[in-house]
Amino acid sequence: MTAQPDRSVAVGRVVATELKPSTPHQFHFWSDQDAPIGIGTIVRVETDTRRVFAVVTDAFAYSDLQTPIHDVIGAEGDPVLAERHPTARAEIRLFLASVLRQVPEEPLQPVPLSSVFLAGDEDVVAALRMDTYTGENSTAVPVGVYSAGGLDAPVYLDADFLLGPEAAHLGITGVSGLATKTSAIEFMLSSIFQTFPEKKGSVAAVCFNVKGPDLCFLDQPAEMTGEDEALYARLGLTAEPFRNVRHYAPFKPDGVNLNTLRTHPDLAHNTEPLVWGLREVLDYAEVLLNRDDIDAKADAFIDFLAERVIGKEYLDPTLRDAPFRVQTFADLEEFFRAIFDFMEAMGRGGEVWKTHHVATIRKVRNRLGNISTRSKGLVIDDGSVNDLPWGRFEDRGVLVIDVAALDPLAQDLVFARVVSKLREHLERRDLGVDHVVVFVDELNKYAPSDGPESYVRKMLLDLSERGRYLGLVLFSAQQFRSQVHRRVVGNAGTALFGRMDMDELATPGYGTLSPAVKSKLATLPKGELMVRHPHFTQPIFVRFPRPCVLTGREGVERYPPVPDLAFPAAIGRQLRQLGASVLDDDVAERVEGRREDDVRQAVHATRRARPEDPWAFFLACLGRTVAPEVAPPPRVTIPSVMRHDDPYAP
Amino acid sequence: MPSESTVRLRRALANRGLTPATWIAEASEGRADEATVRPARLVEDDRLRTHSVGAGVPCPEPLAFLDGIQRYEITGYLDSAPLIVATVAAAVRERPGPSRRPRMVVRAERRLAIAQAEVLDVCDADLGDAQRVPLPEDVVGHPVREVQAARREVERARAQVERDVGARFRDRSDAWLIIDGALSEGIDWVTDPRMIGIVKSHSTLPFEGEDQVTYLQVPFGHRSSIFAPETRSLAPVYSWALRLWPWEGEDLFHGLIRVETRAADDTLGRVDLLSRWLLAERAPLSTPDSRWDRLLYGIHDVEVYLRTRMVH
Repeated sequence: MTAQPDRSVAVGRVVATELKPSTPHQFHFWSDQDAPIGIGTIVRVETDTRRVFAVVTDAFAYSDLQTPIHDVIGAEGDPVLAERHPTARAEIRLFLASVLRQVPEEPLQPVPLSSVFLAGDEDVVAALRMDTYTGENSTAVPVGVYSAGGLDAPVYLDADFLLGPEAAHLGITGVSGLATKTSAIEFMLSSIFQTFPEKKGSVAAVCFNVKGPDLCFLDQPAEMTGEDEALYARLGLTAEPFRNVRHYAPFKPDGVNLNTLRTHPDLAHNTEPLVWGLREVLDYAEVLLNRDDIDAKADAFIDFLAERVIGKEYLDPTLRDAPFRVQTFADLEEFFRAIFDFMEAMGRGGEVWKTHHVATIRKVRNRLGNISTRSKGLVIDDGSVNDLPWGRFEDRGVLVIDVAALDPLAQDLVFARVVSKLREHLERRDLGVDHVVVFVDELNKYAPSDGPESYVRKMLLDLSERGRYLGLVLFSAQQFRSQVHRRVVGNAGTALFGRMDMDELATPGYGTLSPAVKSKLATLPKGELMVRHPHFTQPIFVRFPRPCVLTGREGVERYPPVPDLAFPAAIGRQLRQLGASVLDDDVAERVEGRREDDVRQAVHATRRARPEDPWAFFLACLGRTVAPEVAPPPRVTIPSVMRHDDPYAP
Repeated sequence: MPSESTVRLRRALANRGLTPATWIAEASEGRADEATVRPARLVEDDRLRTHSVGAGVPCPEPLAFLDGIQRYEITGYLDSAPLIVATVAAAVRERPGPSRRPRMVVRAERRLAIAQAEVLDVCDADLGDAQRVPLPEDVVGHPVREVQAARREVERARAQVERDVGARFRDRSDAWLIIDGALSEGIDWVTDPRMIGIVKSHSTLPFEGEDQVTYLQVPFGHRSSIFAPETRSLAPVYSWALRLWPWEGEDLFHGLIRVETRAADDTLGRVDLLSRWLLAERAPLSTPDSRWDRLLYGIHDVEVYLRTRMVH
């Protein structure tokens, strides 16, 4: 263990020249070569009347060598000889520090030429203005520890600036695999759940799992190292997985096996299907329909369907005598069929139905019909629905929505609907919680800086610009911040940066960082982040412990996904998840010879009803077996004439 | 650029009736030398020869360097009598065994105010802790002569400060000590078995005729025969020339130093070893100092240190 430096002893001295003067925002200082100072170190300059806190943003070293050729001559051209020079050249370690805070704040003056000290715990609190939100009425949320110069000082974010209302949203940027973006978000969520003050209300999280098993095991504890446990202790947090997690995933196209890597039986108790029907989809049809395709006429017809037809009793005697009850895509198809039959019967002059042209109606029919095909598994034809618990969100609860295996268009639909519903409920204050953190990975894919306008991007822009007033907070992760829409980036009050790609750092968005800070970012080890927060006038480097949850890879190894089950077995599993004590053989016997759609509907109905006896309820929904009608034997017909000279004869 | 303290002094002098002046003599920071030949006595060989000393080898023991600096300037005139203010300083910086980085061991600095006694009386209150040095009566009456005499006082003071820090260093350490200049500066030095003087100036040459040619054309990595300079009759030393850098294509004196050590038999046995140590000390180069070919980096390091620390 390295010895702790004495923080009351000066480690450097401010120097200012005409060419490199001290200013109110930055200054130079030199230090001993062995001083534990590097990029990101927080230092204190002290005089009798003023204290200045600053962070090292650049570093220089040079010797009294006038020109490199003198070193070559001195070593006779042999680098080995240069190493053997009996006396080491005088050299300097010169640091550039950017001011974090001056006490007193006024009058704002150039940094005095005085001694420089390493920052201690209290200095870090003062330097980052954390004294304004720690202590009594604390709104502090730990983000990691500042580790430099032998110090491990906790660094806190202000919840008012992380979850609103002052500012909100958090974005983390870094290269894949090395920036630990997902881990950082998981740690931040855990930190928020443990420290978000009660007086500020309740908070939940909705996480979209967009790739592999990344977020599939948030409720499963990971093994912690001693170092991680020490970090948790230093931050005043408990190393534990999320206690209240529900995992939602759509079905695969077969309609019975879940489209997720979290299918291990031990994890089935809180893993549910996400199933939507026509009603859920139609409000967000715009997401699924090509913008260029949907003109004002199509829009008007979709609105007509949504307002007058879907989910209602619609009577039009010109189509048929009985009213239409459109609940499912199948019902909708029947409705369209009736319209086309009517128009065909009209002959000439039958191009328009209720002011809607037949071409528009056909276009909308084609596009809507396509939805259930492209989103098969998520959108079910039969009208059964299993949705998020709208209005029943729980404090400190995490809902994971696994869209990793979905078609991109279906992913967009999920984003759009979930975020829109969150917004609606938060506006009405009937969601069940006061704040919701929405975590979206790969944000540059969903809110790109360029490309055509999309519904999802508009929705994310709206969330980032107005969400903080509602308590709707966006936590995003992206590999390239420069490729995310600048309004989304600009509205993120807090920005975290892990290991960065040098090409990304060369983009204009990082122009305020010194070359040394960029260099540090490009080589940042796992578990370290650079933090920008409204209270910090300069970016700060912190270290955070690994989250106490299984990573996707660990989770898949410990809870390997089960292979897709045959239809009866999959039904049996779903019934057992609902509490039924039933064997696969019994299920197989009962569903034998039944239409799969009928069986699926019975299961969905059972899930919706949550009855005390799921097996009995399921059987009741399934109904009795109807014996197949025996077809009469084929009639005897006259045999065909066989012509053996015809080589093409059958 | 005048320092703050001399600016203040000049203002004070003006209030006392002196006419402020600003003039820093050329080469005010170095000793004055006069070109001459003082034949020496050979201690080694029957006639002056050159010997290869081999490749440079760093001294394996702690090695210290001693140097002094001086600075003087005319700060005012009372009528035509100048008031000269000078600062002299010296230090020893030692390179401890395994470390290649020198550290300060001993340092001393003195301020002098040199003028006619009457001038010193008039501005006594403004001279602070400067040592008052009245000029001898025989130089009084001619400003140039007074300045020359003041310069000699400054050089004497510098030599004294160097001797002081040398003695203080020796009190606490028996490490090898390399002095910038001749050992004759101190009577203790010429008897010190672990002291080496490095003379960069060749104003006084120890040989004439063919021997002088041999002496001045010592090849790179070679030394001359050992000789005893005649000017050191009261404090005898052994001396030899050593070429640190090839001089061909440069000046005749390029890289040529004269080394002085105690006049003792043991010197004869280790002259080549000492020469190898000194050869190793030629790098790193003492640039941007124009004397880098003869100025050992250790000495240069002390000089830079003193100049940075000098109180004006």
